Amino acid sequence: MSDVAGAAVFAWGAASALEAKLQGCPGMAAGAALMVLGGLLRLASQYGAQVLGFDEGRALARLRRAGLFPRLLGIAGPAAPALGATATLGIDHVAAEQARAARFDPVRKAATLGPILVVLVVALQSKVAALILFLTLIPFVIGMILAGGAARQAADRQMAAITALSALYVDRIRHLPIIRHFAAEERIARQAGSAAQDVAERTIAVLRAAFLSSAVLEFFAALSVALVAVYCGFSLLGILPFTPPEHLDYRAAFFVLVLAPEFYLPMRRLAAAYHEKQLGEAAEKALADVPEPVARPAVSQRVSLRDVIVDWPGHRIGPISFELGAHGLVCVTGPTGSGKTSLLAAIAGQVEPSKGSLATLPAEAIAWAGQVPLLLPTTLEDNLRLGRPDATGEEVAEAAGKVGLDALIGRREGGLATAIDHHGAWLSGGERRRLGLARALVADRALLLADEPTADLDAASAEQIIALLVAEARQRAVIVATHDERLAALADQVIAL
Amino acid sequence: MIGARFPLPLPPRVKGRIALGFAAALAAGAGGLVLLALSGWFLTAAALAGASGAAAIAGFNYLIPSAAIRGLAVVRTAARYGERLWSHEAALHALAGLRSSLFARLAHADGRTAPDLSSGDASARLIGDIGALEDLVVRRPGIPAAFATMLIGLGAVGLAGWQAALLLAAVLAALLAALALLPPRLSAAPAAEAAAATAELRRMLVDYAAARSEIITYGLAERVTALLTTEADRLDEAQRKLARIEAASNALLILGSAIAAAATLLASTATAPLTALAVLAATASIEGIAAIARSSTREAAVAEGTQRLRVLLALPLPKADAAPKTEAPLALGLGSAEFAPGSRIALTGPSGSGKTRVIEALAGLREPAHVLTIGGKPLTQLPTAAIRSQYALAPQEPMLIAGTVADNLRLARPGIDAQAMEQALRTAQLWERIARMPQGLDTVLGEDGGVLSGGERKRLSLARALLAGRPWLLLDEPTEGLDAATEAALVAALAAWLNASGTGLLIASHRTAPLALASVQVPVGEIS
Repeated sequence: MSDVAGAAVFAWGAASALEAKLQGCPGMAAGAALMVLGGLLRLASQYGAQVLGFDEGRALARLRRAGLFPRLLGIAGPAAPALGATATLGIDHVAAEQARAARFDPVRKAATLGPILVVLVVALQSKVAALILFLTLIPFVIGMILAGGAARQAADRQMAAITALSALYVDRIRHLPIIRHFAAEERIARQAGSAAQDVAERTIAVLRAAFLSSAVLEFFAALSVALVAVYCGFSLLGILPFTPPEHLDYRAAFFVLVLAPEFYLPMRRLAAAYHEKQLGEAAEKALADVPEPVARPAVSQRVSLRDVIVDWPGHRIGPISFELGAHGLVCVTGPTGSGKTSLLAAIAGQVEPSKGSLATLPAEAIAWAGQVPLLLPTTLEDNLRLGRPDATGEEVAEAAGKVGLDALIGRREGGLATAIDHHGAWLSGGERRRLGLARALVADRALLLADEPTADLDAASAEQIIALLVAEARQRAVIVATHDERLAALADQVIAL
Repeated sequence: MIGARFPLPLPPRVKGRIALGFAAALAAGAGGLVLLALSGWFLTAAALAGASGAAAIAGFNYLIPSAAIRGLAVVRTAARYGERLWSHEAALHALAGLRSSLFARLAHADGRTAPDLSSGDASARLIGDIGALEDLVVRRPGIPAAFATMLIGLGAVGLAGWQAALLLAAVLAALLAALALLPPRLSAAPAAEAAAATAELRRMLVDYAAARSEIITYGLAERVTALLTTEADRLDEAQRKLARIEAASNALLILGSAIAAAATLLASTATAPLTALAVLAATASIEGIAAIARSSTREAAVAEGTQRLRVLLALPLPKADAAPKTEAPLALGLGSAEFAPGSRIALTGPSGSGKTRVIEALAGLREPAHVLTIGGKPLTQLPTAAIRSQYALAPQEPMLIAGTVADNLRLARPGIDAQAMEQALRTAQLWERIARMPQGLDTVLGEDGGVLSGGERKRLSLARALLAGRPWLLLDEPTEGLDAATEAALVAALAAWLNASGTGLLIASHRTAPLALASVQVPVGEIS
C-alpha cells in the first residue's frame, strides 16, 4: 500500500517538475524533492515488507519443525523416509515452505490490492487511462488462465521426471563397482547421458509452455503503458478520434504515464515469486505425506508371528512364523536389503505387518541395539543410560565391561564422564555399535533386539559379543539380525529372509 | 561480480544459445528502456505542440512515435520470451552435458582408487550440486545485457546534456560499487554460519534417522527434537541477518532510482521533451542493476556446489578404448600355488578370515591384501581392464541396478539376447520365477532388486555372471538364503554348466553343498 503511495508521490513530483520545466516556471526543485521523498517511501515499504515476510516465513518454519521432527523420527522400517530423504524433508522442504511464506504470500496480497490502488489513483487524474489499464486486465486474466493451467500441469510432470533422473544417477553411481567389473561403464554412461539429454529436451518443451504465461504478462504490461502513452499524447494534441469525457493537462498525463507500469508491477513480482510458490506447494505436499506412527500391535507375554508379511512398494518380507518365549536366541539372516532390520522393527511394534498376526511384548519391555546407535551430546555415561535414566554407575560400568568398552573407557581421562559430541568423534563404528548394545543391557528389558551386533568387529571382539548374546539369551528373549554364521550357528532358531 | 564459473568448457551449442539469450535480453532491456523514454518524450512533445496551436499539431509527426511505442511493446515481450527460453535451453543442455561427462569420468575411473560415492547420500548430494549450477548458466546472458542496457540508458540521458549523463554515471557507479562490496562483506559471516548450521542439522537428522528404532524404543523423541530445534534456531538467526542485508540492497536500488531520476531532471540542460525522455531512461537503467545484484547474492551457494564437484572434476577424461578385449584364459595364482584355467577351487577359512577380500580383489573391486597373480603377474601390477577380462563375479551382496531383469543381465556383456538370458536364468534356477511374472524379463525391479527375495536376487546376480563369458567365475556365498532342494538343483545345474563351458571357478561358501563343485580347497590363511 505504501509502495503505491511512494510510486504516486514520485510520479507526482516528476510530473510537476517537468511541467515547471515545460512552462519555464519555478517548482523544479520541489518536484525533485518529491521524487526523492517518493523513493524513500518505497524504500521503507519494500524493506519493511521483506523483513516482515521473512519473520512470517520463520514463524511458519518453526511451527512446521515442531510437528515434523518428532514425526520424522517417530516411525521406523520401510515406511519411514530414507536417511537422505529425512534430511531433505527436515531441511530443504521446510525451507521451501518458508521461502513461499516469506516471498510469495506477501506478494500475492500486494498483487490483489496493488493494481486496484493504482487504478484508483490514476482515475483521480484520468478516468480514461484508468479504464485502459482496467480493460487490458480482462484479456490478461484469460490469457493467464489458459497459459497458467497448462504450465502448472507441465511443471508437475517435469518435477517428477527430474526426480526420476536423479534417482537413476544415484542408483548407477552406487553400483559403479559392479558396472566397472563387467566393463559396462561405456554403455551405462551412454545410457545415463542420453537419459539426461532426454529430460533436458522434455524440460525445454515444458518451458516453452510455461514461459508463455509470463510472456502474456509482459505483453499486457507493455501494452498498457503503450496505450496510456498514446492516449495521453493524442489527448494533449487534441486529435483523439473520439471526444474524451475529460480534459487532460500535461501534469496529469505525465503522472498517469509514470504510474502506468506500477499497475502490472505487483503481478510481475508475483510471477517472479511463482517458482517459490510451486516449490513450496510441492514441499507442503511431501511433508503432509510423511506417515504417522503406526498403532502398537497386540501385547503378549511372548513374541509370536504367524504368517507375517511386511510389504511396501517393490519389496516383500515373509511370510514368517515363529514363537519366542521368555528366553532363547533367534537369528534373522539374509542379504542386505532383504528386510532384516524391518522385521526387527515389526517385532518391536514399530512397523505394521500387511498380513498375518503379530503379538509382541509391550514397548517398555523391549530394548534395541541398532547398527548406528544414537549419540547425544552429553557424557558417555548418560548416553549409556538413555534406556533407563535411573541406572546406577555400577550397572553402567558393568554393561560397558560386558561389551568390551572398558579398555576404551580406561584410556579416556574422564572415564565414563567423558563428553561425547553428536558425531561420536573419537568412537569407531564398532565401538559405537558396542555402546548401543551396552545401552540395551543397561535398559534391562525382557526382549533384546540387536541389529548386526558383530559387524565392524575384529574376530576376537566378535567372539566376545557372540558369547555375551548367547549368555543373555539364557535369561531373556534375544532376537538378532545378522550376517554372521558363527552367531547363527548358535541360535535356537534361524529365520532366513 | 561473476566470479563463479561453469566447471567445464561449454559446448558450442550452449554458447550459441547463450549468445542468442544475450541478444534477446539486450533487446528486451533496451526495448523496455526505449519504450518508457520514448513515451515520456512523446507525451511532453505532444503537450508542447498541443499548446502551440493547430499549425504545430499539424507539423507534429505523431504517427511514427506512437507506432514505435506500440511496436516496442511487442518487441519487448517477444525478446523477453526469447531470453527466458534460450537461457534455460543453454542451462539445461549445459547441465545434461556436465552430468553425463562427470558420470562418464567417474564410471571410467579405476575402481580401486576412485572416490567412494557408494552411499546414496553422497551421490544424491552430487546430483543436487550439479542442479545448483543451473542458475549460473541461466543468468549468464542477462548480466552483460544488463550492463549494455545501462550504457544505452546512459546514452539516452546524454541527450539531456553531459552534466546529466555524468551524474547518472556517478549514481550507477556508486550503486554498483556499494552492491559489489557491501553485501558480500556483510553477509560473509552469517552466510558461513547458515551453511555450518545447515550442515550440522543435516548430519544430526541423518544420524538420528539412522537411530530411529532406538529413539522410539527408549522414548527419546522429545529430547532429540529439542536438540534439532536449537540448531534450526541458529540457522534461522543467520538467515534473518541475510534477509535483512538482501532487503537493504533492494531498498538501496529503489532509492538510487529516485535519486538518479531527480538528479537527471535537475542537471538537464535540454528541452522539456528530452528531459522527460532522460528522466524515464534514468529510472529504467537502474533496473538493470537489480539483475546484477541478485546474481551476486547467490554467488556463495554456487561456489559451494562447485567446490564439492571438484572431486569428480579432478578425475581424468575417459579413454576411448576402455572395454576389455576377450583374452586367452590365464592361470590364477593364490600365494605360491598356481591353478590352470578351468580349475575349480574352493576358498576355505572361518568367517572374517578374508575370503571375500580375495574374491573382490580378483574382481578388480579393491586393492588386494593377499599375494595374487594372474598369468604369473602380480595383480597389483595389472591394469583393471586385464583383470576384468578374466573374471566374472557373483558377489555376496547381489548388487542389482534399478531397472528391469533384462537390464541387469545385459550389464554382463553387450549383445545378450533373450534366449541367452533364459539359458542363464535356467541354470541359476530362476527362470520359472521370472517367466511367471507378467512382464517376464521386462519386469521392473525396484532399487536393489526390489520385488525379488534375498535368495532370488543372488541367483539373478549369478545368472548375470554366467552371461559375462569370462574364463573364471567368482562366487561368494552363492546359495545363501536358499532351501536345500533349490540349493541342490542349483549346484547340479552349475556343475553341468561348468563342464559344458570349461570355465574356471573360485568359490567361497560356508555351506557344504556348493563346495562340492570344487576339486581343490585352498585355506585363505595360506595365501600370503
